[in-house]
Amino acid sequence: MKSKKIGLVLTLFVAAIALMACGNKDDNNIKSEGPGDVGNKDYKTEMNIAVTAQPPTLDPSMTVSQVALNIAGNVFETLYTLNANYEPVPMLAESVDVSEDGKTYTFKLREGVKFHNGEEMTAEDVVASMNRWVTTSSRAKSLLTNAEFTVQDPTTVVLTLESATSDVLIILATKAQFPAIMPAAMVEAASAEGVNEYIGTGPFQFEEWKQDQYIHLVKNEEYQAVEAEASGLSGKKEAFVEDVHYHFVTDHSTRIAGIQTGQYDIAESIPLESYEQLNSSDDVQVSSYDGGALTAFYNTNEGLLADVKIREAITTGLKMDEILLASYADADLFSLNPGYMNPNQTQWATNAGEGIYNAGDVEKAKQLLQDAGYNGEEITLLTTKDYGEMYTATIVIQEQLRQMGVNVKVENFDFPTFLERKNDFTKWDIFVASTGYQLTPPQLLAVTPDWAGTKDAKITELLTAIRSAESPEAAQAKWDELQGYLYEYLPSTVIGHYKSLIASTNELEGFTVFEAPILWNTKVIK
Amino acid sequence: MIIYILKRVLSLIPVLFVVSIAIFLIVHLTPGDPAATILGIEATQEQIEELNEQMGLNLPLYQQYIQWVSGVLQGDFGQSYFMKESVTEAIWSHLGPTASLAILAEIVALVIAIPIGIFAAYRRGTAVDQSLMGVSLIGMAVPSFLLALLLMLFVGVYLQWLPVAGYKPLSKGLWEHFQYLILPAISLGAIQAALVARMTRASMLEVLDANFIKTARSKGVYEYKVVLKHALRNAFLPILTVIGQSFGTLVTGAVVVETVFNIPGLGQLIINSIVRRDFAVIQGVVLFVSLIYVTINLIIDLLYGIVDPRVRLERK
Repeated sequence: MKSKKIGLVLTLFVAAIALMACGNKDDNNIKSEGPGDVGNKDYKTEMNIAVTAQPPTLDPSMTVSQVALNIAGNVFETLYTLNANYEPVPMLAESVDVSEDGKTYTFKLREGVKFHNGEEMTAEDVVASMNRWVTTSSRAKSLLTNAEFTVQDPTTVVLTLESATSDVLIILATKAQFPAIMPAAMVEAASAEGVNEYIGTGPFQFEEWKQDQYIHLVKNEEYQAVEAEASGLSGKKEAFVEDVHYHFVTDHSTRIAGIQTGQYDIAESIPLESYEQLNSSDDVQVSSYDGGALTAFYNTNEGLLADVKIREAITTGLKMDEILLASYADADLFSLNPGYMNPNQTQWATNAGEGIYNAGDVEKAKQLLQDAGYNGEEITLLTTKDYGEMYTATIVIQEQLRQMGVNVKVENFDFPTFLERKNDFTKWDIFVASTGYQLTPPQLLAVTPDWAGTKDAKITELLTAIRSAESPEAAQAKWDELQGYLYEYLPSTVIGHYKSLIASTNELEGFTVFEAPILWNTKVIK
Repeated sequence: MIIYILKRVLSLIPVLFVVSIAIFLIVHLTPGDPAATILGIEATQEQIEELNEQMGLNLPLYQQYIQWVSGVLQGDFGQSYFMKESVTEAIWSHLGPTASLAILAEIVALVIAIPIGIFAAYRRGTAVDQSLMGVSLIGMAVPSFLLALLLMLFVGVYLQWLPVAGYKPLSKGLWEHFQYLILPAISLGAIQAALVARMTRASMLEVLDANFIKTARSKGVYEYKVVLKHALRNAFLPILTVIGQSFGTLVTGAVVVETVFNIPGLGQLIINSIVRRDFAVIQGVVLFVSLIYVTINLIIDLLYGIVDPRVRLERK
């Protein structure tokens, strides 16, 4: 009798295990997707990418969200784009003529380029898209004030500027809030919240957005690639997969598990602590790419740090190498450099300010604080644990400030609250932020007045000088001067530069990373 | 009886009114700006103010509340700022995965728990009983997220038997649907299984000591019949109550498991909406879940009224 009951229980367990074992048989469902025989090898027709969060929109001119811009970059294209050297090169434009006074740009458009709805791109579409961009994108509004695009003929578009500036083409190629070319009808139908559909000219076209699950792109069969060799975001683009799914996977461990099992081909934003673990795996590649700069912003408007002497004292005492090591764990993942711009973007690379940057002189800092009349007042470090590196850096800075004899407290909030408090100058003295690179100095958050409150006449003057410089060399010299001044006025200090990590399976062929994973020209081996 | 039902239904109105004010205030007094969150870290103050204005978040709080409540009374829970769809659509599309997960977790819990509970009660006091109850104690103590991660690592990554994350709706096929839910259901069902197993054991113990069981045995009824037919049937009512109560907990308890296994259910919706400060969705989901709880309570009250007429009389 008893054995019968034991049998009953055992049967239930065996049934449960058998149910799980069934998964083994159907494992192929997860990993392989339909036939895709190209050349000698078998390739998959689907690519799965795990991203950290669902973007708010795919309308490029409305957002600075990296996830949104990375996805939208497959669907939409721009007149100019960046090559691997961060130089602006034509994409939907064929060429440009600049007038002698520098105020008129005449773009010749590529012919025969079709939108995903089958219609051919015309000058009307370009003008509608670009004029919307110069009025909706805050970057464009501030960098190209009162700029206007007009149709000259069906394949020629003219840009008229208020004043000549040296950085027009690179602004047109900027990734943040990029000027996507879309059909004029779509632009006209757009509301204040953005466009209602996503029709571009890119190698992939928008298919479906399943809220909180995925965005599905499909191959654009009629894509018209340029002849030039692929480089960065420019050159020949070819879609080798039929379907691309961007899955929204907020949990780090799930993204990592997914890449290890091959459920995802690419996983973005791999946490730094998993670098070693994934790097040692045979089936997974970890690519690092220029992430951005970690910067400490000082409150120049209110409180103790409104005094430049206090800012100077604090900067003198900070040991950037310690902060970076704690924040990024591995020396491969960060570099010390006082530059606000990407050190690899040669035009803007400068070491101006290296005297005070990473001085780490605690005794001198103490002396400077005393000279400035510091009397033990409390300063507040604002941070959020939602970005691990920002939090860790803040904690190390807290400790370093204590060693300088500063009375310091840390206030930690979730990210939305952090953003709100950042905008209230009575609530903080210092905060650390990791932000992606900008392509030109005037786009830097560190010099944008309403971002961290940096307002200074000399900064504005030098920014204007950079933009109106007659040659790249003259602009570079002015930037050199401005960065030097930033290390005198000290509205902020760069802590260092970090790499971002992307994991991919070994099954990818031709895969490159430039600012983001590049999906075109990439094959997935079965 | 009809008057009793009417009274009970009417009594819900002040409850829901208070709940609606509480939800609204909690959400709107939480620091964090929806526009800033949507626009991201590099957004400027000007952009943030522009978006807040567009979303009507610059209006005084009482006006926003009146707008929201009058919408809700007409069945309109508002628009999600972030997802650009109505809150009702958002809830509806996220309800399916949570319901599937909760049902499967409940099945997992029952399949494990009831045999264990019966067996432990039957072998009361023996080493088998003690070890089964020990295991169930561990089951109650292990947090579901830990179990979720362990299962993901072992069954998903190491054995590669099941996918580690994601969700496919039932329309894609039964196995496609279930293979994504098995690991989350086990993680979620384990605590429930432990609770139900202990409840089954306790309830069975009480019944197994009763005189009618002794009578049945003395009449020579087969032992399995004594246990499964006579004892279990009588012990089942309290177990059923626990199962009923636990189902609500499963629906709301799915939050963490849904996040770990990336299942787009209500739990994930509310977590994401809090992170995005998508006020309308947070309010909508909390109100929806409150409605479910209040309705379940109402049904239970009404059932009590039907089963036991004294309840009705007392309330008159």
